[in-house]
Amino acid sequence: MSDNNNSSNRRNFLTNLTKVMGGVGAVFAAIPFLSTMSPSEKTKMAGAPIEIDVSSIQPGAFKIVEWRGKPVWVVHRTPEMLDKIKNEAGYLADPESNEENQPQYAQNKFRSLKPEYLVLLGVCTHLGCSPLYKPGENKDLGLEWKGGFFCPCHGSKFDLSGRVFKGMPAPTNLEVPPYYFASETKLIVGADEG
Amino acid sequence: MIKKYAVFTVLLLFSHLSYGASGGDLKPVAIDLGNKASLQRGAQIYFNNCSGCHTLQYHRYSKFVNDLGISEDMIKSNLILTTNKGEKTKLGSTIINSINHDSIKEVFGVVPPDLTLTARSRGSEWIYTFLTSFYEDETRPMGVNNILYPNVNMPHVLWYKEGLKKLDENNQLILKVKGQLNQKEYEQEITDLVNFLTYVAEPAQLERYSIGFWVMLFLVFFAFITYLLKIEYWRDIK
Amino acid sequence: MSKFIAWIDERLPVTKFVKNHLSEYYAPKNFNFFYFFGSLALFVFILQIITGIFLTINYKPDAASAFASVEYIMRDVEWGWLIRYMHSTGASFFFIVVYLHMLRALMYGSYKKPRELLWLFGMFIFVLLMAEAFMGYLLPWGQMSYWGAQVIISLFGAIPLIGESLALWIRGDYVISDATLNRFFAFHVIALPLLLFAVIYLHIAALHTVGSNNPDGIEIKANKNKDGVPVDGIPFHPYYTVKDIFGLAVFLTIFMFVVFFLPEFGGFFLEKDNFVPADPLKTPEHIVPVWYFTPFYAILRAVPDKLGGVIAMGLAIFVLFLMPWLDRCKVKSIRYRSISYKILLAAFIISFIGLGYIGMKAPTPTLTVLGRLFTIVYFGFFVLLYFTSKNEKTKPVPDRVTMHD
Repeated sequence: MSDNNNSSNRRNFLTNLTKVMGGVGAVFAAIPFLSTMSPSEKTKMAGAPIEIDVSSIQPGAFKIVEWRGKPVWVVHRTPEMLDKIKNEAGYLADPESNEENQPQYAQNKFRSLKPEYLVLLGVCTHLGCSPLYKPGENKDLGLEWKGGFFCPCHGSKFDLSGRVFKGMPAPTNLEVPPYYFASETKLIVGADEG
Repeated sequence: MIKKYAVFTVLLLFSHLSYGASGGDLKPVAIDLGNKASLQRGAQIYFNNCSGCHTLQYHRYSKFVNDLGISEDMIKSNLILTTNKGEKTKLGSTIINSINHDSIKEVFGVVPPDLTLTARSRGSEWIYTFLTSFYEDETRPMGVNNILYPNVNMPHVLWYKEGLKKLDENNQLILKVKGQLNQKEYEQEITDLVNFLTYVAEPAQLERYSIGFWVMLFLVFFAFITYLLKIEYWRDIK
Repeated sequence: MSKFIAWIDERLPVTKFVKNHLSEYYAPKNFNFFYFFGSLALFVFILQIITGIFLTINYKPDAASAFASVEYIMRDVEWGWLIRYMHSTGASFFFIVVYLHMLRALMYGSYKKPRELLWLFGMFIFVLLMAEAFMGYLLPWGQMSYWGAQVIISLFGAIPLIGESLALWIRGDYVISDATLNRFFAFHVIALPLLLFAVIYLHIAALHTVGSNNPDGIEIKANKNKDGVPVDGIPFHPYYTVKDIFGLAVFLTIFMFVVFFLPEFGGFFLEKDNFVPADPLKTPEHIVPVWYFTPFYAILRAVPDKLGGVIAMGLAIFVLFLMPWLDRCKVKSIRYRSISYKILLAAFIISFIGLGYIGMKAPTPTLTVLGRLFTIVYFGFFVLLYFTSKNEKTKPVPDRVTMHD
């Protein structure tokens, strides 16, 4: 009888050990398979930080560059533009950028490291369209419009810091990608400094 | 250490199985992909001497960071010598060059082959033997010929290092003009270069053996447990 | 839980299915080493499907980028090299397992009544598998891929009248080209796997209808106890599940060793010339098919006539289909058959291996003679078997199975 008991204990133990080992083995085996679907070396390198020479952007001008397949905007803002941003009215949804839509160093009114250079991910936070740059005043866009970005897909409006207007389909301000200035004119987009 | 030897012994056993292109007169070369310094030297020799004509079109510069331990800045300043549309070739780019295929064909008669997989298609020993088998031959357009690959169109690019050899009446290579390096130093440089090309042909080799060791350990243990399990159940069967 | 299972069972008889095919499916208790290879073949098939799917994610069936995409998998895709080596090694191991599985059938007469249909389905699987492997080998688009396909498809050109247009139709071009690669990709990843899946299903369904043969060649169903359970049978689960799991663990140990340490297997599994991109203007010095095709390739070369060679090669495969009717001996297992069958089978195995070796080598006069000799032995096996098996002197077959371990 005790021999039977021993045997069934041993049997249970070995069965369970086989199940556990088989399970662990299967999980480890799944890792390489699933990993093949993550971005490859080629894709990752295409997503590597990019360099932009900002000295070529005239004051008031706007430049689109590609980073990870998405548009990145660089705007050289004039002092007048900065004034407009400073005197912003209550029509903005999140004027202080409390939502985590930017690196910490861009959590200010100008949403940038250097006020004169705005760096934004040109993707509407609503459904991923790319808004248009409309720097001047424009009656069609309402009396409050002092220049900014307008999304043609669903009409979301953003000011010259990429801050969204109240009551827009877009839920948050435009995203600021990580960036830093390697020198006075060399802008690196896609990585934080250091 | 033990696992390294075990793997090596097994590979040695099976290397005799191989059939095909390997002739009997290839010289052995000590490939050691664990030797990062050798791989780095090999990379430097490659980019200083070979990359002008030959490409490694399936490989990326960026792989050198993790695989060979060369820093990004070192790669950018020392290895990337080409440009693309006026901009310096990017780190994530494949290792290609900008030579014009038509004009180079006029000079050498052929387009220099891509070398990414040469260590796999011809073998490491073949490359090593090839690069140590050049000799002076006035009848050839480039002034040199090769014992392993007669009438090859490639000039002896590394002659400034090796010196120039000639064939004596017994078909032995003897040094005629001294180069920068002595025989031993030259062979070491070629070993480094072949080591590098062996890595480029199959970068997975760097991790294949060590991962394989753990997988083997797991599976042998698993097989042992399942054996006990089978014995246990089969005690029922008379 | 039991309520849930009852709910399911009312709608789909899962419990009944498990009983019929596992816990109350009775298999002879005397299976030996050779009986591992059926379940292993099924495992390798599934493994090939899974690795294949993950390779397809990054592979490009385009003559201009196929070769580069394989190298992309080998170096730029995370773990891509492992998946690729598992797939390429899996192809070779599939054939190792299937050849041993077939040898088992020849040894123990598993193709004989009532298992003729089971054998025919198995042969269809074998033929489909060869087509699957052949088309898959084109996909890396290396020199061997290209020229191997060129040679094999040209064989169809030997068929009188329609041959040339048939070859053209298969290629979709005057040479192997992008068009060929694309259609082979379609066949390799979807058409043939689906067919294989269907025929494997039929193979197992037929097996579970007639029951497994065994090394003694006894029908265990002829000897049942009062509950209707074969006295020499044991439930497949747990006894053969634990045994097959052990077999699988040993198989995986060997398989993964090759994957990690010898993926090229000295040029047998991955040929050196296949690391050179396909070049339609330059034939490699020495074209050899992958090892699992070489026995049939050697038969093709043994016949000094193009059409004759093609017919001989086709016949070499076709004649295997006829085994249930060529072997007229009533006794199944080699254990109780005459010495003549043992000699014939030994000669057949030697000729098959010998042909496999010759098929890998460049033809020399000696090898050509040897190849012809082995070809005669190969076909001689079937002819002599037909005449000797009718009145073979056999040993008495026991009533109950025998256990050897």
